[in-house]
Amino acid sequence: MNKKIVRIGAAFAALTLSLGSAACSDSEDSGKPTKISMMVLGDKPSNGRLEAMLKVLNARLTEQANATLEPHYIEWADWQTQYNVALLSGDTSLDLITTATDWLFAWENAQKGAFLPLSADMLKKEAPKTWAQVDAKGDWDLTKLDDGQIYFIPEDNYTQWTNHGFFYRGDWAKSAGIPDGTITKFEQFTQYFQWVKKNKPKAYPWDVAKQNEGALTGYLQGHTDWVTLQEVSTSSYYPFQIDNSGATPKVTSWYYSSDQLLPAVTQTKQWNDLGVWREDALNYDGNTREEMYAGLSGTEQHHTQTFVTQVVDTMTKKQPGSDPKMFYWGQENGNVYRDIKTHGAMAVSANSKHPEKALQVYDLIRNDKTDYDLLNFGIEGTDYVLTADGKLDHPKGWDISKDALDSNFWGGRMDEFEPTKVTDAPNKADIYKGLDAVAKVYPFSTLRVKKDQIDPTLTAIGGVFSEYIPQLQYGKVKDPAATIAEMRKKLKDAGFEDALKSIQADVDEWSKTHKAK
Amino acid sequence: MAIQLDARRVRSGESRPAGDGRDRLRRIGHSKTLIIMCLPAILFFLVFAYAPLPGSWIAFTNFNYHDGIFGSPFVGLRNFEFLAKSGQLWKLTRNTLLYNVAFIVLGNIVQIAVAIMLNEIRSKYFKKVSQAVMFLPYFISVVLVGVIAFNLLNYDTGALNALIERTGGDPIKIYSQAGLWPFIIVLFHLWQSTGYGSIVYFAAILSIDSTLFEAAAIDGASAWQRTRYVILPSLKPTFIILLLFSLGGIMRGNFGLFWNLVGNNATLYDTTDIIETSVYRMIISQNNFTTSTAVGLYQSLFGFALVMLCNWLVRRVNEDYALF
Repeated sequence: MNKKIVRIGAAFAALTLSLGSAACSDSEDSGKPTKISMMVLGDKPSNGRLEAMLKVLNARLTEQANATLEPHYIEWADWQTQYNVALLSGDTSLDLITTATDWLFAWENAQKGAFLPLSADMLKKEAPKTWAQVDAKGDWDLTKLDDGQIYFIPEDNYTQWTNHGFFYRGDWAKSAGIPDGTITKFEQFTQYFQWVKKNKPKAYPWDVAKQNEGALTGYLQGHTDWVTLQEVSTSSYYPFQIDNSGATPKVTSWYYSSDQLLPAVTQTKQWNDLGVWREDALNYDGNTREEMYAGLSGTEQHHTQTFVTQVVDTMTKKQPGSDPKMFYWGQENGNVYRDIKTHGAMAVSANSKHPEKALQVYDLIRNDKTDYDLLNFGIEGTDYVLTADGKLDHPKGWDISKDALDSNFWGGRMDEFEPTKVTDAPNKADIYKGLDAVAKVYPFSTLRVKKDQIDPTLTAIGGVFSEYIPQLQYGKVKDPAATIAEMRKKLKDAGFEDALKSIQADVDEWSKTHKAK
Repeated sequence: MAIQLDARRVRSGESRPAGDGRDRLRRIGHSKTLIIMCLPAILFFLVFAYAPLPGSWIAFTNFNYHDGIFGSPFVGLRNFEFLAKSGQLWKLTRNTLLYNVAFIVLGNIVQIAVAIMLNEIRSKYFKKVSQAVMFLPYFISVVLVGVIAFNLLNYDTGALNALIERTGGDPIKIYSQAGLWPFIIVLFHLWQSTGYGSIVYFAAILSIDSTLFEAAAIDGASAWQRTRYVILPSLKPTFIILLLFSLGGIMRGNFGLFWNLVGNNATLYDTTDIIETSVYRMIISQNNFTTSTAVGLYQSLFGFALVMLCNWLVRRVNEDYALF
């Protein structure tokens, strides 16, 4: 199947190569507005709201820059493959591309030449406001490869916390005998789960579906002071951590080296035997968040952003008195990091025929408040309303599952344009403040791992992980110690230590010019 | 369809002495309709199988967008390494082969049996209805098949276990017993493919010369004897051609079916992991088209070698049955 995709891709690449040069248009010079296509990630809405908004927005953009914006959706089904294939195909109709260094392969694609290098002069001329804002924060370095060129624009002025954790019910935790109903240590979930299992027969203590490493990574993050290296992933896993406690940062791995993996797996086995999740959680495909909203799950696993923007509000409405709370990974030992500033970013396609126009449009949707509001919130009155105290609300009868705008602009949101939302958790500010006080800045954002050299090894490592982690995360093993040893042996055979060494060399090189603390 | 699949007739057509150009043109003129009917298939293979062939070169490169497929640095067999390094090559090759052998052998047997039974049905309406009912699963998306299987087989809420519990038994943890899955997967595969596959055999039976049946009837052949001595021998060429076709794909798995039935359930991988599913998991988050092409190439070359070998064997036994 993959091969067919590659073949199709290759065929199109060949076609566009031969046709591309002939098809250059110069509509910028003529009076017609230039169409700027922006790749976004998300499911394309079909309720007409997006089109209605674009009509208004594009009238403005035509006036401001003689251009129009057209979102191009990469839908969530098979998005990893679709995203990369779209870039590989050399599609000349794409201009702006949403990207990210930790989850959207920004460095790989920059290295492979998918993005247009952006010169300072070009940015200053075509996107002056963006240039000035990012420059003032000193964040352009976060977007450069070894060649010193800028490859994308960071969403560096938008505060969000995508640190993961467990959402649980304060009322049930209290009944479980946990002081104040507030969990402060990862292991306390055993007590919570036991109580739910015994007293809420209809509910799963933690209804969880398919891949979810939380039971392992949550434990490991709270029991080591290592930080996950976000630049290297394989299969669906991040295999490497950095031990930053010594004089120089040392590359290591929870799954390969940590003593804490055994107690973590021993605990998942205990949870599995207790019936914390469905026996067939690995194959179950239900909407577990809805289960929690329906009172059928005691726990849900996701990040702070989801908690403060959706879960608190919905739980308060659907399960009155449930007192939703969140325990985040690393809460017990303060091993928690801020979001990196390139968790969202925007690149210009190397094949774009109108890179200058694309930057002009980007500068507008990022910095012009009216354009920004239209793109992100829609049309005032039908998509959203503002309350008397300036909070963002939706008009009466608005239903998220039917009326959502879903423009999915994640490559340039700005704090100053983001209103408080009526549905935000009332204690959002406190939660942010609490995180602010302990969270550290991820120091390795400027590290560029030479992945070319370890790619085949990483693929093999991914194969081993995908065979073992699902069993370990759900405690589906007879003898945790033996299974861990078996996995580590296979990782070694796959070349894990070569990869460690190669990344360590990159880190050492980086350390000469950068500070890890 | 039956005519095209009958090896002997195709061959006898080919073995006609080659005429001069005008003769050939006239022959093409005669086959105009046939050629037009084949055109979509010919185009399909040209566009999707032959035109991209040179692109396979990507499997031997460290690909980057700038230099393109043929300009990127050559890295030899490095992109094939991971299959061996992950320590799974043997298991994956074994599983893929065994499943395909089971699919091909059982599939053809069941399809032939069904085709013969359909042929014996006298009521026209019952025949049509049976065909339609058997054909239906072919159109059900494998995603739905996966959901159906889960709702039948899962431990907590599955229909099968509910039935076992009601009748006083102990529920079975089907999704953690690797030994059961070869049967489950083969069963689902047969359920999906039998109706479709039997059509070809049914058509072949219909094209059997009716004088053979009349002669058998005069000689007093029973239904079983008719099947054994008339139908089965007449189906042999069709069977061999279909077999040779399917051998080419023996290293390719039915990715959709396996992925939707098993997915991330690593406890079942010993008996259910095939090349496609494993590779999919390995490279899902890696922007790595070179390794996936490498795998595809490995599968294609293996299938190619196998087809050549079997065709050679078939030709030695009976030249008429060989593809070429």
